[in-house]
Amino acid sequence: MRLACDTGGTFTDLIVEDESGQLGMYKASTTPADPVQGVIDALKLAADDEGVSLGDYLARADSFIHGTTHAINAVVTGRTARTALLTTQGHPDVLVLREGGRAEPFNFTIAYPEPYIPRALTYEVPERISADGKIVRPLDETALVATCAKLREAEVEAVAVALLWSVANDAHEQRVREILRQHLPAVPVTLSSELNPTIREFRRASSAAIDASLKPLMASYLGSLSRRLKDAGFMGRLLVLTSQGGMVDANEIAASPIRAINSGPSLAPIAGKYFGELTKPGADIVVADTGGTTYDVSLVRGGRIPLTRDAWIGQPFRGHLTGFPSVDVQSVGAGGGSIAHVDKGGLLRVGPQSAGSTPGPVCYARGGTEPTLTDACLALGYVDPDYFLGGKMWLDREAACQAIKDKVADPLGMSVEEAAAAIVTLATENMASAIADITVNQGIDPRHSVLIGGGGAAGLNSIFIARRMNIPRLVIPEVGAALSAAGALMSELAADYRAVEYMVTTNFDMARANKILRGLQRKGEAFLAETAGVSFAPQIELSLEARYEQQVWEIEVPLSFDHFSSEADIKKLAEAVHQSHERIFAFRDEGSAIEIIGWSARASCRVHEHIIGRMKPHAKEAERAGTRRVYFGGSGFCDAAVVPFSALAVDRIHNGPALIESPFSSVVADPGSVFWRTIDGSLVIDIAAQGADA
Amino acid sequence: MTSDPLASPQPLDGAQLAILNNRFEGVARKMANTLLRAGRSGVLNRARDFSACIVTADNLLLAAAESLPIHVLSGPDLMAASMRQFHPDLKRGDAFLHNSPYHGCSHPADHTILVPVMDDDGVHRFTVVAKAHQADIGNSIPTTYHGTASDVYEEGALIFPAVKVQQDYQTIDDIVRMCQMRIRVPEQWKGDFLAMLGAARIGEREILDLAAEIGWDQLDAFRERWFDYSEKSMIDAIAKLPSGCVSATSTHDPVPGTPAEGIVIKADVTVDAEGGRIVVDLLDNIDSLPCGLNLSEACARTSALIGVFNSIDHMVPKNAGAFRRVDVRLREGSVCGIPVHPASCSAATTNLADRVCAATQSALAQIADGVGMAEVGAGLSPASGVISGRDPRTGKKFINQLFLGATGGGATAHNDAWMTYLHAGNGGLCFIDSVELDELCQPILVESRRLLRDTEGPGRQRGAPSLEVAFGPVGCDVDVAFVSDGTINGPTGVRGGGTGGRSRQYLRKVDGTLVETDQVSVQRVKDGEVIISITCGGGGYGDPRDRDPAKVRHDVAEGWISPERAAEIYGMSA
Repeated sequence: MRLACDTGGTFTDLIVEDESGQLGMYKASTTPADPVQGVIDALKLAADDEGVSLGDYLARADSFIHGTTHAINAVVTGRTARTALLTTQGHPDVLVLREGGRAEPFNFTIAYPEPYIPRALTYEVPERISADGKIVRPLDETALVATCAKLREAEVEAVAVALLWSVANDAHEQRVREILRQHLPAVPVTLSSELNPTIREFRRASSAAIDASLKPLMASYLGSLSRRLKDAGFMGRLLVLTSQGGMVDANEIAASPIRAINSGPSLAPIAGKYFGELTKPGADIVVADTGGTTYDVSLVRGGRIPLTRDAWIGQPFRGHLTGFPSVDVQSVGAGGGSIAHVDKGGLLRVGPQSAGSTPGPVCYARGGTEPTLTDACLALGYVDPDYFLGGKMWLDREAACQAIKDKVADPLGMSVEEAAAAIVTLATENMASAIADITVNQGIDPRHSVLIGGGGAAGLNSIFIARRMNIPRLVIPEVGAALSAAGALMSELAADYRAVEYMVTTNFDMARANKILRGLQRKGEAFLAETAGVSFAPQIELSLEARYEQQVWEIEVPLSFDHFSSEADIKKLAEAVHQSHERIFAFRDEGSAIEIIGWSARASCRVHEHIIGRMKPHAKEAERAGTRRVYFGGSGFCDAAVVPFSALAVDRIHNGPALIESPFSSVVADPGSVFWRTIDGSLVIDIAAQGADA
Repeated sequence: MTSDPLASPQPLDGAQLAILNNRFEGVARKMANTLLRAGRSGVLNRARDFSACIVTADNLLLAAAESLPIHVLSGPDLMAASMRQFHPDLKRGDAFLHNSPYHGCSHPADHTILVPVMDDDGVHRFTVVAKAHQADIGNSIPTTYHGTASDVYEEGALIFPAVKVQQDYQTIDDIVRMCQMRIRVPEQWKGDFLAMLGAARIGEREILDLAAEIGWDQLDAFRERWFDYSEKSMIDAIAKLPSGCVSATSTHDPVPGTPAEGIVIKADVTVDAEGGRIVVDLLDNIDSLPCGLNLSEACARTSALIGVFNSIDHMVPKNAGAFRRVDVRLREGSVCGIPVHPASCSAATTNLADRVCAATQSALAQIADGVGMAEVGAGLSPASGVISGRDPRTGKKFINQLFLGATGGGATAHNDAWMTYLHAGNGGLCFIDSVELDELCQPILVESRRLLRDTEGPGRQRGAPSLEVAFGPVGCDVDVAFVSDGTINGPTGVRGGGTGGRSRQYLRKVDGTLVETDQVSVQRVKDGEVIISITCGGGGYGDPRDRDPAKVRHDVAEGWISPERAAEIYGMSA
């Protein structure tokens, strides 16, 4: 039995796959003061459902896969360790100056961000290495020893070391760590060259600083989780999900906790990829996860999960750049809790302010007074006020309508329904623009893609998002309400290796290129060898980071072969770069040489032969069939069929308007759409009838 | 398409308005992304010194995403007008190169590609504009800012007043070949030229797609409504100010070609709260000078607008609708008005533009507490200079503008300065170069880059501190060109706020002696020598003695100010 648990901001989601391959889904409230408690609560729900004790239940599990927001929450709330930064002499302000850049040039209400590590805890190390890796100024060890005394005096709990050009020659960073170990043996240290070997000193320093600051906290959190699971009866393997969408043993995360910074959200694309490939093989897959305050999207192309090195904690230029490779999940401030209001000029605005989970939308009747997207969906009839979370929570539809009337409908001179539809349309637009940013704005036409709707609220407007973006097919997986946890069950053991070596096509050294690739492959093979016997579908994928001469932003190009054997292979590589460049930037420059900056290998394998099972059926749901009066912008009121999710027959085609409901979600199929259920349990909605048999 | 509210030709409601604005801004953002990622020169791909915007067929600024303020508020409108004037018979597939400051461009270094967006009937609907500061433009000296040029002939820039460079989507190679014969490191320029064309074509394609989906009539209806909405926001923002007439000056340091006392810029600002109007009168200023600092019309108008928008509610959309409520009065032949050929406007985006902006926003600060902004540090220091030479590692020539850092942010009524502001017209949008990337791309070593204590403009809200950057060539000699300001006239504070750190520039000889260099210079730096550039800080807002003591303590703890200064200037007892 496998357990996958994702601790989110509001809910702790648990998906259990039992010995027969059947899935169970459970949701407990997240307990921020002691997140392990939320995990235990969710496990108790699952044990109760089976009618056994927690101990007996856990004894059956061979692995526990955990996604956690603990690391990112600690950064956002400033509860990280007291961390010092060691920089090259003369460059103490690397985290203050960052890389410049700003959003909204006339908005002075946003203060300049404080550096991740205060200047008071930043220390300069006399040393310097140049771009070619030569030592320009030797490391002054005496001065460093004196700094160690200051670090002790300052009661520093962790140290990040980020020296210039350590990526070209790490001798000084290594020596600094040895000296720190002698003088501050108990203090954890992160070296920038080891953690994140990339050019651009700010990004390396920022990664190292964040990583070091999380070490004491994450070691203790994972220690506590491991101990309490063991005490409760768990004897299996504890794995933690990484920002790169793989899973690693918990002790590896404790050693470099920045890897868990985007632990949960990075898994939604993994699940989305699986369900997308099942319903429309070969298509691009837009994976969206609707939460209470944010809408997270990512794009899977050609079966590859996208990675980025531009991942921010918080808003770009205002938060902190992790500088660390991460699954590329873009987030916009739009979700069920997004607040609608009309500004003085008569412009409707939805979000980014959110009512969050407290007080939450007006209809939660917990003191919220501002109408939200959820209130609008309720007013339009998309949500059954008596069947929210399977009837566990009653919603106040009347209060929601009143708030929409007062705050939106009256100021705009509209009916409540028109206003609610306008709120949904604008929220849809905000969400659609997030998809535009990762598709059309990158030169990718969404008309050939499929949209995966994850998150409990995804069903309410995903059909409108699909229409707005001309995405012909929407898929709501049966585990969609806990998409990240489902992704966790599918995730692979993975390791990424990277070499920073410069090469240019006009002076291409095939022997050296092959040596670099071979070296990366060997590392990948060694990793896979350790998993032999318990792993399935092992593979090593190679890719290059390339650009035209004098550009500084690389594009990632997958390598379709594993060594260069002739000029033809170099041409093949060049053509791949031209094609990517033209797709993204609308031109190719065949006269230009191509520079290769980075070489990467990703070794991965699955730990289970099959990928994911099916949900256990729930008999009670089927009785809820009927109709409900709903309102659609453009066509007005109509009666929509209410269809229980679990009662849908496989491959039987239905026409919208309809509402497909389960205890965890309500999915809107609008007039003109058709929908059916697939053999793997997903609900598929096509935006036009002719797409149904595509 | 039952759920598509945009397909129907009804009057636009508040939701549709927001959506279409989002779509146009999205087009501009996509163009900008192309410029950043595909550009070749460091000034584009490391520093992001470019802009992308959309202008209506009648030459009004509609959407500019996150563009550099000095590039777009006015300029794209004037350039589009000159394109239409010189080429009344526009066709789909045309593209034009524009950099003429006498026809609406900011300054000659800002090469701009204009593409008219034509509907299927050949009617001109919009113009998309991609503007990028070049690493070189063929000036008589190796810099894109020729501060001491007595006229455009001495400046030496190739001037393109909306010259056709593509027809039927095919590049007219004659123009490209001309440029390649006159622009340093021509393949670098060519790469940036292609990136600009790519960006403009992407913008064109997106607008055509948008029209196919929504219809041209709806887009026309949108622009009217959007301009009206923006105008109304502007009226509301002005209504929050007290009415009054105020004026302020800001003085550029004397350099060759200017009066001995420097260039005093005066802005007379009138706020009419009831009438919902602001007038910035720049008429009372001296005639243009035999130097490269004269403003173009685009920069004169824009820098006054920046001063206004820095001073009021930031929620007002910046487009032609809001501009209806601001009257910027310019005089032909003035140093900060409408330049007459052959006056040189080589450094029009920075030096005097920053002074116009400073005078405008410090004038507005006199209106009431809560309004206006302190002066932003001025000029282009050597840390932002243009560097050129031959790279001994490759044997190839190079030229590029460095962005090793400039702070300069002025304080506002409610916040300390944005630290990495660069200069007034930039608003902090440009990136700062990575030391490692700069050392990789040019044969230099950056010895140090640090913020200096006690250089902040003191105030209730404080200005940015100065930055000190020391760098020099490795294994060769290089030229570093700069047009520094603020060495004499530092960034002043407003409403009792103090002056921020002044700029300084030194050459450190091989024997260690320090020599102060000229402020405006192409400085030869020999192997073993080092340029030390101290950039301007920014002015403070309000009396420093009113600063929150907790903030003063934090500033001391973080080393921004010394305990002595905390006591002396901020009145903190130790």
